[in-house]
Amino acid sequence: MLKLSSINTNIAGTPILRDVNLAIEPGVLVGLIGRNGAGKTTLMRTVMGLLTPESGSITIGGQDMTDLAPHFRSQAKVGYMPEDRQLVPTLTVEENILIPAWANALSGAEARLAWVYELMPEVEAFAGRKALQLSGGQQKLVALARALMTGSHILLLDEPFEGVAPALSRRLASVLHTLKDEGLTVLLSESDYSHSADLVDQIYTIERGAVAAQEGAVK
Amino acid sequence: MKYATTMIIGAGIALLAAGLFMPGWLTFLLTLAFAKGLVVMGLLLLMRAGLVSFGQGLYYCLGAYCVGIAGDYFETQNALLLILLAVVVCVALAAVIGLLLCRYRDIFFAMFSMAFSMILYGVLVKSSAFGSSDGFNVKPPLLFGWTPTGESGPFLAYGLAVVALVGVGIFVWRYLRSPMGYAGEAVRENEIRVEYLGASVRRIIYTKYLLAAAMAGLGGGITALAAGHIDPEMAYWTTSGEFVFIALMGGVGHAAGPVIGAVLFELLRTYAFQISPYTWQMILGISLLVIILYLPKGVWSLVERVTKGKPL
Repeated sequence: MLKLSSINTNIAGTPILRDVNLAIEPGVLVGLIGRNGAGKTTLMRTVMGLLTPESGSITIGGQDMTDLAPHFRSQAKVGYMPEDRQLVPTLTVEENILIPAWANALSGAEARLAWVYELMPEVEAFAGRKALQLSGGQQKLVALARALMTGSHILLLDEPFEGVAPALSRRLASVLHTLKDEGLTVLLSESDYSHSADLVDQIYTIERGAVAAQEGAVK
Repeated sequence: MKYATTMIIGAGIALLAAGLFMPGWLTFLLTLAFAKGLVVMGLLLLMRAGLVSFGQGLYYCLGAYCVGIAGDYFETQNALLLILLAVVVCVALAAVIGLLLCRYRDIFFAMFSMAFSMILYGVLVKSSAFGSSDGFNVKPPLLFGWTPTGESGPFLAYGLAVVALVGVGIFVWRYLRSPMGYAGEAVRENEIRVEYLGASVRRIIYTKYLLAAAMAGLGGGITALAAGHIDPEMAYWTTSGEFVFIALMGGVGHAAGPVIGAVLFELLRTYAFQISPYTWQMILGISLLVIILYLPKGVWSLVERVTKGKPL
């Protein structure tokens, strides 16, 4: 379970997140909805430990992670897909996907990679290409594949559908459906839920850095 | 991987064999170049992670002084023992300083590393027990009770330098192709990405700093045995600057870059001094300028262009 209690995060002295409380039960896909500048990415980065909150606490699986460095989140099997993909352009797709496995000395990395390829066969098709040779949408798929290498408990997806062609968006949504069926806990941010309305079990609406509304399933 | 290892060992054997027929001056020059190449190979690991150290002179000098002081204090000339001691002491000091330095980046890392080197320089200059600014002589080395004399005098240090170069060269070559090696480049590109993917950036940099210190200590120890004299200049910031100069000259794209750079640097300095004793630094400066302008990735990039069939 992922739990955020009274989180306040500042960036360069400016308060961005204000008293954010959020709880995600295992196996649930949660949508974080808010317009640009609402604080979605800041929330994601705070959960991942890339920003340290001024106050409040973050627990993952019952363990307090508030002051721990981001790599401890990865070791706790939290996968993160940033909005801007952040692939290493000079490495191949497969090398990019394997970075978390190397970084965490992951046992069973080959089996995990095979599972990722089974989930997204199109990624295996261009596994040998350099990341810089891929389109934006393909890079999103690779970033998701990379997040899945360690994200076997919780997956944080920051605007996965942003700037992706409709066909690839549908493909991403179908992959997320499969992951949901497999019981993965997912926190997904979007500016609206046009792509994820059929996916999410729970929605948190975020406005000006605070949770403005919380809804159950939207179907 | 096996092919490259065989090639490096083969090159080492060829260098050892050539050393038997080389004139003494060339053997000496190459020994110093190889020793500096070892230091720059350590610097390469840091530079590939985006960190430029202007303080490798600290470990270069410390390694040399360890060899000199231990040789006197323990009354031993066993070259292997002295060099091992130099490496251990350098790693021990780096283990402490590295805890602080691995928190800093860019100019702060460069200046902090230089500051520590200058502290050692200041201490040595003021220490009359170690010969102050004059330094002191180091006893000729022994290897299993054998010491070469006469024309073959410099061969022992040369042999040690070649063997060390082969060992460190194989290590660095493999390291750069290992996850830890790739991690350095990933740190240079984007530290945040490395962190959320599961690796501790500080640990990566700390490990590289320790390795660089070990290599600098090794290079310093070999230099002390080869030159037979050590002085605080080895810790002065210009010595550390020389290592950066060599790294830029040779290139940091391949483990061989620092060695090529170091040999080129020593040859260039020797001949520049011979041609123009009062303005030899200008020749070095112009050479570096030309290399930066036309070969921004160093002299090694020429080899890569030829092997990959790219136009020169």
